[in-house]
Amino acid sequence: MFLSPRFPIPQGTLDMLILQIVSLEPLHGYGVAQRLDQISRSVVQVNQGSLYPALHRLELKGWLRAEWKQSETGREAKFYSLTASGRKQLAAEKHTWARLAGAVQLIFNEGTK
Amino acid sequence: MIRQLANWFRRKKLESGLDRELRYHLERRIIDLERSGLPTGEARRQALLELGGVAQIQEEVRDIWLSRWLRDFTYDLRFSARSFLKAPSFTITAVLSLVLGIGATTAIYSLVDQVLLHALPIRQPESLVLIDWRGDQAADGFGSWNLMSYPICRDLDKQTQFFEGVFCRALTTVNLSTGGDYRPAVVEIVSSNYFPVLGVGPALGRVLANDDDGEPDANPVAVLSYDFWQTQLGGAPDVVGRKVLVNRYPLTIVGVAASAFKGIDVGQVPSIWLPASISAQAIPGFDRLLDRRTRWMQVLGRLNQGVTLKEAQAGLQPWFKALLQEDTRRAGFPVITAERRQRFLDSSIVLTAAPQGHSGLRRRLVEPLWVLFAVTTVLLGLACLNVSGLFLARGSARDREIGTRLALGASRGRLGRQLLADSLLIALAGGLLGTAAAPIVVRTLIAFLPRETAPTALNAGIDSRLLLFAFAASVAAGVLSGLAPAWQVGRRSLVSSLRERGGTAFGGVRLRKVIVTAQIALTLTLVVGAGLFLRTLDALMAQGPGFVTSSLVSFGVDSLRNGYSPSEGNRLIRRIDEAIRHSPISRASAVARFPLLTGGSWNDPMTILADKRISTDRDVNLNSVTPGFFQTMGIKIIAGRDFDERDIRATGEQGWRSAIVNEAFVKRYLRGRNPLGVRICEGSGPDAKPNIEVVGVMSNFSYRGIREESEQAYFPFFEDSGTFYVRIRGTPKSSFESLRAIVRSVDPTLPISDLRTLDEQVDRSLNTEHMLATLSGGFSTLALLLSLVGLYGVMSYVVTQRTREIGIRLALGAKRWSAIWLVLRDALTMVVSGIGIGLPLVWALGRLVKSQLYDVKPSDPVVIAITILVLCSAGLGAALIPAHRASGINPTDALRFE
Repeated sequence: MFLSPRFPIPQGTLDMLILQIVSLEPLHGYGVAQRLDQISRSVVQVNQGSLYPALHRLELKGWLRAEWKQSETGREAKFYSLTASGRKQLAAEKHTWARLAGAVQLIFNEGTK
Repeated sequence: MIRQLANWFRRKKLESGLDRELRYHLERRIIDLERSGLPTGEARRQALLELGGVAQIQEEVRDIWLSRWLRDFTYDLRFSARSFLKAPSFTITAVLSLVLGIGATTAIYSLVDQVLLHALPIRQPESLVLIDWRGDQAADGFGSWNLMSYPICRDLDKQTQFFEGVFCRALTTVNLSTGGDYRPAVVEIVSSNYFPVLGVGPALGRVLANDDDGEPDANPVAVLSYDFWQTQLGGAPDVVGRKVLVNRYPLTIVGVAASAFKGIDVGQVPSIWLPASISAQAIPGFDRLLDRRTRWMQVLGRLNQGVTLKEAQAGLQPWFKALLQEDTRRAGFPVITAERRQRFLDSSIVLTAAPQGHSGLRRRLVEPLWVLFAVTTVLLGLACLNVSGLFLARGSARDREIGTRLALGASRGRLGRQLLADSLLIALAGGLLGTAAAPIVVRTLIAFLPRETAPTALNAGIDSRLLLFAFAASVAAGVLSGLAPAWQVGRRSLVSSLRERGGTAFGGVRLRKVIVTAQIALTLTLVVGAGLFLRTLDALMAQGPGFVTSSLVSFGVDSLRNGYSPSEGNRLIRRIDEAIRHSPISRASAVARFPLLTGGSWNDPMTILADKRISTDRDVNLNSVTPGFFQTMGIKIIAGRDFDERDIRATGEQGWRSAIVNEAFVKRYLRGRNPLGVRICEGSGPDAKPNIEVVGVMSNFSYRGIREESEQAYFPFFEDSGTFYVRIRGTPKSSFESLRAIVRSVDPTLPISDLRTLDEQVDRSLNTEHMLATLSGGFSTLALLLSLVGLYGVMSYVVTQRTREIGIRLALGAKRWSAIWLVLRDALTMVVSGIGIGLPLVWALGRLVKSQLYDVKPSDPVVIAITILVLCSAGLGAALIPAHRASGINPTDALRFE
């Protein structure tokens, strides 16, 4: 499973990642896990155990909506999708992230000049 | 937080959901891993490993659902409940303390809410205002408070820039029949816009409409109250169109008012509503509906949306000033002194918010009820302190447990929360039982209220407002009682608690002593209060009304309401009087125009012509009585004579020839002068003609009530209605049927009202004082009991603590009594410092109850001395049991025990 050296996911970014993944299409927990795994393989390491608490936390905050639907295997699964306020939150976090990353980059550039 | 609380109630569903979700995840993962070539068992192991422990995820998710805090708190509650069940005697004592506190507070609050706070069940009650005249109206009147004339109500109704509408109302008693017997009934005379302005609709038919009080006598209609319709007419559906007879005058029923609406006076539920146009029939002989100088109605209005009370009040003044000027030029404006005229012209209109309507009962009870509410709140505080003390005691017993938990790493906050859960649970249990008991207490309380209050006016039920109050009181009590124990845990040292043996931590004792001291201080205020109210009642009872009440019976007759003309009515009264006097059941009998001890009176300023002409500086209470009245009542004629045939006026003669005044009148206005032969008259204007000769002086006696000492002037009786006073042979109660029979023999259809003994009338006139004395007495007894339990508990604990020390002292030769003294001194210190703290409190609170007292000051030394004596001796009594135990300690046992 360990194809390349990976660094642990920064604190607080898991929520943002989940929102991003679910924003593309409604997914059940396992689906989110698979997508996270794909990301993990290449870049960061995500502890699967923290996935479900995060999903439930986002649902309680009203950013995710959950409903039981038939999955691709024919069994009932709990699908998560983004709510309107979740979409707003994701946009806000993306914006903050971009500013933060930009700012950090700026500082690095200063240092190497 | 709300969502998390909601989650707590559907946690079963959430659990099974999470279960399914995780199972789905695992199954999918296992299948995927098997597809990639792992054997079944290995795949399962791998999947579980990746997920990182199902149980841990479940825990973490639960924390999210309920929040960590809430989840722990539910565990705390469960733990508390279990430990309470294991210590039933502790639990019962604590819960019982709070049942007393919360039950009493909730019951009193029920009355406070119903009588003082509850808004009328009408559209937007907050925009309703009472309109009153501040200043001299240059008018005569009758009724209770905030009175104005009918025409000014109509004028105000036209001020549409401020008011959506202005209506007026007056309560009166009529003889009412729906076909059968006539019965006295309270009715409300109203302007026809009463219902529309209040926003009250009909339950059946229609309510009064705008032209119902057009021309006098034009529209003889009536609207029934829902209660009257249900109880007197059996809720007959065809009632609209039927007739009711008001003082023999037929009115057509046009409808029934909405069921929730019981008039705008919480104490007086009218049977029917009548338009003002038929006030002459409702109040026989009344012909001054359109007179601007007759004040008899309360005026209320609804402010326009967006108009504030202040704006309306300020905006009305220019119009009102112009009206005053216009009034002085109107025909029929009385001739008055220039000074009084100025007072009239200086008058202003005053608005007060009246979302609860207008009520004489509220006016009478507002202070007593707040006093009682304060008393029960203090009682609740005492109960909380008691529970605090109990918890501290239990805390010391649980020392080891708490010490161990601290040692194992529980945070102090966590333990404090555990103790808070303890006290909240106890408080909620106490609140639940207290609320369940409240209706019984409320029913008892209602029995103390003025008995004229309609039985339907107040109810003893529990409504949502009361539940909310009880819940808030319980939570507050829980937090209060948990505060001290939680604080104690926060302070304790871990090392010392583990080193010491169970039950020897000393820190809790000081706090418990502080609590007991506070209890004594609060109890002192309650006992002093109860003492003051008892002395007040005692003083009033001892003073009495100034006449002999035993074997005296009274009842009222109103002949005009039964269709008599004034002169026929007067003959009827005399015939009944004659019949009673000749009956074997009576020793003496007389009639007075107005009844005594009902709180009301006929009153007016008077003009006195002695050496010079003077006007009285305040109203004189007036009445008219038949000859023999004073003798019947046992009132002394101090100078001059009683009324007799010399005072009877000739046919066509108006007014009175003679009057009898009381001692207070002589003392205030005729000091040092021979009152006999002085001439007086009713009224104080320049046109008043003092032509009535004072022929006698009577001793002082109570008219409105026993508290009041007033100047009185009595005239001979020529009227058509009045109250009979009969001195009975034998027991008064047995005479009731005979008296009814006598009245029936004169006129079989004539109803009589308020048949009762004068002893009962005295009781009724003192029912507020009875209520205050009885309830504050009861509550302070409970308070004393609670603090004695607290004191006893602490002292027992202290003795247990000091067993060894006392044992050693005894072994070294100390006397038994010195062991007793050791304990008593401790108890006495608490009691005395409690009294020291309580006395300034008494001084501060005394001013609040001053107006409720009679013949006793709030700082009455006798009451305070007795209270201190009671507290000290009760305190010593409670401490004596543990002290006795201390003196019985066997030195060798005490030392071996260690």
